[in-house]
Amino acid sequence: MSYFFQIVVSGIVVGSIYALAALGLVLVYKSSRVANFAHGQIIAAGAFITYFLTVTLAIPIFFSFLASMIITFFLAMSVERIFLRRLIGEPIISVIMVTIGLGSILDGLIYLTPFGSENFSFPTFLPHEPLSFGGVSISWTQLVGVIITFILIGGFSWFFKKSTVGISMRAVSDDQFASMSVGISVPKVFGLAWATAGLSAAAAGCIIGNITGLNFDTLHSFGIVVFPVIILGGLDSILGAVVAGIIMGLIQQFASGYLDGNFGLFGTGDVMPYIILLIILLFKPHGLFGIHEIERV
Amino acid sequence: MKSNKIFTALLVLVVMFAFTSSVNAGGKVYKLGLSLAITGPTSDAGNPYSKGVEDYFKFANETKILGDDKIDCTIRDDQYKTDITKRNFEDYLDQGIVLYLNYSTGSTLGLKKDFEEEKIAVIPASFHRGNLENSNYIFLPVASYSEQVIVMSEYVANNHKGGGTPKVALFLHPSAFGRGPLADTQAAVKAGLNIEIVEVVEHGKDLDNTAMLKRLMSKGVQYVISQTIQSPVATMLKDAQRLGLSASSFGEEGKLTFLGAHYTGGNDLIALAGAASEGYFWVCSYNLTSEDTDGTKQQLALAKLYGRDDKAANSHNYANGIMVAQVATEAIRRAKAAGLKVNKANLHKILNGMNGANAYHPYTTVGPVTYSPTDHAGVDMLQIYTVNGGAFKKVGVPLQSAFMGKIQ
Repeated sequence: MSYFFQIVVSGIVVGSIYALAALGLVLVYKSSRVANFAHGQIIAAGAFITYFLTVTLAIPIFFSFLASMIITFFLAMSVERIFLRRLIGEPIISVIMVTIGLGSILDGLIYLTPFGSENFSFPTFLPHEPLSFGGVSISWTQLVGVIITFILIGGFSWFFKKSTVGISMRAVSDDQFASMSVGISVPKVFGLAWATAGLSAAAAGCIIGNITGLNFDTLHSFGIVVFPVIILGGLDSILGAVVAGIIMGLIQQFASGYLDGNFGLFGTGDVMPYIILLIILLFKPHGLFGIHEIERV
Repeated sequence: MKSNKIFTALLVLVVMFAFTSSVNAGGKVYKLGLSLAITGPTSDAGNPYSKGVEDYFKFANETKILGDDKIDCTIRDDQYKTDITKRNFEDYLDQGIVLYLNYSTGSTLGLKKDFEEEKIAVIPASFHRGNLENSNYIFLPVASYSEQVIVMSEYVANNHKGGGTPKVALFLHPSAFGRGPLADTQAAVKAGLNIEIVEVVEHGKDLDNTAMLKRLMSKGVQYVISQTIQSPVATMLKDAQRLGLSASSFGEEGKLTFLGAHYTGGNDLIALAGAASEGYFWVCSYNLTSEDTDGTKQQLALAKLYGRDDKAANSHNYANGIMVAQVATEAIRRAKAAGLKVNKANLHKILNGMNGANAYHPYTTVGPVTYSPTDHAGVDMLQIYTVNGGAFKKVGVPLQSAFMGKIQ
């Protein structure tokens, strides 16, 4: 039975981290209807900034973590200001193409630094010994990752539901022209959406980097790995990202734990989440929590 | 006016003559090309590799290993993309290269026909045995991945402490690079290698390997042999440590002992996995700077000479780069010494004759380079290392696979 619960815990851990990594994509999509293909590079940048502050500047890792979120907040805001602001009102596909180009530019910039082609590891700051209860274990890294994920997701959910700025962002997401007509600054909302996405990406980068080590290719690939999560969750739903992330994590772990190596099956841990995704989308084409917009002509 | 024109023409002729003479006085220049991933996937290996190649050719030119002749090796980044590698290779051919240095398994397999058509000797950084099938021109620097995995399997078979046949899982990269050794290892088992391959795992971008590790334990697996890159191995080692599944000594019963081939190990693995890498067994054909040898002293001196940082200087991929440059330089030197023209055909011939008394001993490797027309795997000797106190240390002496010959 402990095997079953261990897999449940692992699935929730992996799923929570997927949800945090997906959060930035949701935030940008929620406000601007744009899929950001440079998200993985921002995840990596956040992790490397934390490492640089911690190891090179000898700042305690907790403060480095906070500082990297603040830095990526402004970095992402600047990116939006420089590259994307002038595309407001242009076709969405143009903006998406710009994010692809932006990803290449960020790739190039990171490759100019040692982080582009070397492996690093955060200094140890949590106990080595895992927490164990009833035969189920979870590492401190994973536990802290899950706690940070839920704090951030809870914070963002509150922000979008209760704060004036958050409500403005949802309004812009619903209808840009109507929002402008009631005095909401659409450019400011876009900037803020990118900035908050940058902040969450930095948090995700630090947590993933702490688990896998700091390798640029591994880190930036998570920008793409989590796309199925936001599709399943419904693209613009924070709750959807959380639920879908955990579903994906659980499916992956259960498939790997119970199907792989049995019945002549291998690699189902990687494939099964996509199969389940396709099946769910057959019945819920807008994802689990996506808004089904009805257009009347 | 007329005398002015004659004077100008004479001046031009004199300048041209002086220029041509100065070029001849400097000796010949042999063009070589290297295309590899300095950025992009696997650049953590490609970057120090390129530095090794660059430094050794610079050293060879400055210390006049080829007399007044020089090697001009153009190094270009292909970002691990075969289409860019092909473009680089074609450009190098236009420049008149006499030998080509390639990198990845994918591009080596993809360009194999081109190498045959151009009849040019190629030394890749990939040790995939499939590179050698239907190929006359590809020369692996060291023993293939297949041989590396089989040597590790033999080590397991010979040192397994418990009763019965040791149960092994293979942890592979989902590509030709990773899958290459599978069929060969299975063939070795059929030929009598005393291990049981219980499961073959092709990893993804895993954040948690708990389910996989627990599954392997439930099947009685005791040894996991990896043929992939460092990052997924590091995550697996950290998970095993967290779950209390890592063996504290080789073959500890009820625990997992982790082993791996060339690109799974080195200092990068220790950087990524930290303390979880303790007790990891790794095989490669290179001397490591964590062991004090004449070869590693020369490697570190070369790195110091050209201002490389500690990370590059101590990388086994830096050694790897130096080694292929050494082999290329030696082939040219031998061609010259034999009075042969340094061209594609003669370098191919020289490489094929690099065996027996003519075997070449680079300072970077644990054994000599021995090529022949029927054997294009360079260094056959392999050294097993294990992480002890945060550094890779030798386990025993260099060895050669007993089963590889039986399955070829």
